[in-house]
Amino acid sequence: MTKSSKLFLDSDIIISSFISKTGAASFIVNQKDLILSISNLSEKEIRIVMARLKIERKALDKVSDNFIKIGLKENTTTIKEKYSKYTSDPNDAHIVAGAVKSKSKFLISYNLKHYKSEAIKRDFDIILTTPAKFLQYLRSRN
Amino acid sequence: MSGTVLPSVYTPEQVATILQLSKSTIYELISRGELAAKKIGKVYRIPATSISFAITGLDNDLYMAEKEDLKILPKVQNELAKVRSEL
Repeated sequence: MTKSSKLFLDSDIIISSFISKTGAASFIVNQKDLILSISNLSEKEIRIVMARLKIERKALDKVSDNFIKIGLKENTTTIKEKYSKYTSDPNDAHIVAGAVKSKSKFLISYNLKHYKSEAIKRDFDIILTTPAKFLQYLRSRN
Repeated sequence: MSGTVLPSVYTPEQVATILQLSKSTIYELISRGELAAKKIGKVYRIPATSISFAITGLDNDLYMAEKEDLKILPKVQNELAKVRSEL
């Protein structure tokens, strides 16, 4: 497999990967052959959720090198103005912003119902999918 | 889900119908080891997990891996939604 697949990971994927080591999210997060991105805002929320769920900080530090960190410099209000039309919950807008800024081809999330997948595909050519469906897609290419 | 109990094993004929392949292709896939099956006497039986893709859209290992995540997901998403509303 070549490093041709650029993915932006929703925070639910990263956090799930720390709790369930045999889950599909963990497999994605630990894939060395994919270009994985998160944003500065994702990292912030991941760290807060980890603390609240009592997940050790080092879990994220261990896999941190697997990710490209995208800096979203706009404030959350501006991000919501620009991207909330792609989500059913405006609070998820920064995930779409991160996927766009990272120039990812896939947005991997378990929260599919919160994103407007057709609009995201149409306007940014980004495919919204789950970890297992993405892994199935990779297998279909071989 | 309708509550219908799916069989845990299938005959090669049934699998041919489900996957829309010929019976001879199914036997070929079994002999090449691409489709896991068990020979019982003179006949083959194919476990449902071998044709998971036709039912779930995922290979069985990926289906199981996703199920593993789904067990813990409500807790994760609930906490994440709270944190996002505070950002």
